[in-house]
Amino acid sequence: MRLGTRKLLDKAFSGLGLMAIALMAMALVLILTPIIWRGSKAYLFKGTIEHRRVMLEQFGRGDAKAFNRETRQAAEARAPVYRMLEEFEAEMKAMDRTVRRNYKDAYGEVEEALHVLLGPRPGKRTPVLLRQQYGQTRWDRTMVKLHEVLYATEWDYSTPGAMGVQIEKPRVDQFRGTRLEPLFDYLPAHIDEMMRPRTTFYWRFITDTSKDSHIFGGIWPEVLGTIYLTLGAMLFAVPMGVIAAVYLCEYAKEGRIISFLRICISTLAGVPSIVFGLFGLAFFLNTIHVSDSKSVLAGSLTLSLLVLPTIIRSSEEAILAVPRSYKEAAFGLGAGRWRTVLTVILPAALPGILTGIVISMGRAAGETAPIIFTAAVSVGMPLKLWETMNQPTPALPWNIYNLCTEHEAVDEIRHVQYGMVLTLVALVLLLNLAAITMRARIAKKLRG
Amino acid sequence: MNKISVYALAALMAAAATAQQKIVVDGSTTVGPIAKAFAEYFMAANPDVNITVSESGSGNGAKSLVNQTCDVADMSRPMKDSEFKAAADKGIQPVAHVVALDGLPILVHPSNPVQELTVEQVRKIYLGEITNWSEVGGPDQKIVAISRDTNSGTYETFEEKVMDKQKIREDCEYVGSNGAIRQRVQSTPAAIGYAGLGFVDKTVKALKINGIYPSAETVQTGEYPVARPLFMYTNGYPKLGSPLYRFVTIHLGADGQEMVEEIGFVPVTSY
Repeated sequence: MRLGTRKLLDKAFSGLGLMAIALMAMALVLILTPIIWRGSKAYLFKGTIEHRRVMLEQFGRGDAKAFNRETRQAAEARAPVYRMLEEFEAEMKAMDRTVRRNYKDAYGEVEEALHVLLGPRPGKRTPVLLRQQYGQTRWDRTMVKLHEVLYATEWDYSTPGAMGVQIEKPRVDQFRGTRLEPLFDYLPAHIDEMMRPRTTFYWRFITDTSKDSHIFGGIWPEVLGTIYLTLGAMLFAVPMGVIAAVYLCEYAKEGRIISFLRICISTLAGVPSIVFGLFGLAFFLNTIHVSDSKSVLAGSLTLSLLVLPTIIRSSEEAILAVPRSYKEAAFGLGAGRWRTVLTVILPAALPGILTGIVISMGRAAGETAPIIFTAAVSVGMPLKLWETMNQPTPALPWNIYNLCTEHEAVDEIRHVQYGMVLTLVALVLLLNLAAITMRARIAKKLRG
Repeated sequence: MNKISVYALAALMAAAATAQQKIVVDGSTTVGPIAKAFAEYFMAANPDVNITVSESGSGNGAKSLVNQTCDVADMSRPMKDSEFKAAADKGIQPVAHVVALDGLPILVHPSNPVQELTVEQVRKIYLGEITNWSEVGGPDQKIVAISRDTNSGTYETFEEKVMDKQKIREDCEYVGSNGAIRQRVQSTPAAIGYAGLGFVDKTVKALKINGIYPSAETVQTGEYPVARPLFMYTNGYPKLGSPLYRFVTIHLGADGQEMVEEIGFVPVTSY
């Protein structure tokens, strides 16, 4: 080949490589930007007075005196709203029954929308459901709900043979000439004073338990459950995996059985995770009954099976990469095989083994399918260490999916879903970072 | 060193003995919101009891109860003979607690001008005999039929009350939860689906069926044709006074009924 052609080919290849890296970086940015942007809104947002009320009443946090002062101011701003409602109710009572009927449904809707916006009306009995005891806690949701008070959404089906068109009718038109009419001007003008938005950094989102299935509070049970499951899986998988790798590399005689075993391990690495999940349910829970219900223990065991092949293979590679001369030197000094493995080979292979562990840890933390049937639940309390033996737990990957597809009020709490995603990504990143630094340190120490 | 580990083990065992009580709830995604609200309500008053709720479908709930991996099986349909038999073989005695009533609203996108259908028409849509909205007074659009998966009690109610046990058309889309049905319908103008009453909000439109709109009244009186009770099953009747007993009887109190109603379902009695 001519020199010119070779150079050209070389350039083309390095260009392709650069492009691949650039593409990957772009994909990473595309994926991470919305995760970080939306997820951060679970932590940093404009919180209303209702958010501070939840914090004080449900979590016992915040300055009660300042809050009471603020509540008084908010109540003053809200008082005219409730006065208008009362006046209109009195007006309605005095109406002729046929006229009253025109207003009844429309007024019910306004009352309901106001309850959602501001919380229960003072003087009325407290609802049982927690979600109805408070108004909107976030400013962005407040604006959405305010819009729902001001406008009724209707659908216009007048064009035959076509889909309907959404129209928004100002509710004020329904109440022209009544005592309620000024309400619709008052609300948007005074919403600030009624809700008192303030930039809130809710870092406790990560350490608070959830209240009323994630409508208020944080995600601590999920975070803790993920940590338990990941560490539990490592507790089982790491010793088993490393010992298996040592056996395969140092003790086993190469032969048919061993190569068959190797094929089995590689196959296991390719089995879909849902199969592991079903196996975990059938074996750990229904056959050997490690616990009497789904539990962190059963989930950890299932996850450990999932990551075992990765750990075995990477440990094997690391052990094989230890220079032969190390082993020969140890043997030459009179060390036995066992001693050689323990004091020479394993320490030298440790950085490689750790890499395998790091990769599997990230995998175990993020896997959903293996824990659906063995460990994960939609709601539950944070567990104490000994309770992991027989109790199930919420876990981030499963609850993200669960919120997104099954929660009855998911549109109200999208921020929690995004917050969970961000937390999970950050958690995996943190685990990896910790392990990478550890690995670097050990490698440095080994080099002397 | 050995002594320490013995102490540690002893401490762990002592701790395990005093570990908080647990109630594991599994099953229907329709009953899920009720179970979650009850769990929240119960745990607020009894912080020493940990109630976990998972929503994996009525069929899975029944299986879990039979395998004794849950204490309460939420179900949106009654147990089947085969399930009772499996339970009896394992010495389990399923006892039903009806916690609420539910109509099965037939949902379409709010932009769809169709306001009502008959059970017959809905059946024909799901059989594939009616494939265009124009055949039932709507615009000229191909109908996208969405159904729950076959593990779901909601599916079986629909199969029994609407389909007359006939087979749903093959190109029907199956999804795994009530929430997923709502999401598919709210994002697909030509879709039709069905879900529990508690999952209906402004983003979807419930149709009148045989001229009856699904509401608390029409479900309770039996006028609305596609209605059903929602169950919680336990193994035997729970020991009186036990946390489990108090949990499965929450719906009998005024607070429980209010919760059921506010979530969107129909309380069993008019409290």
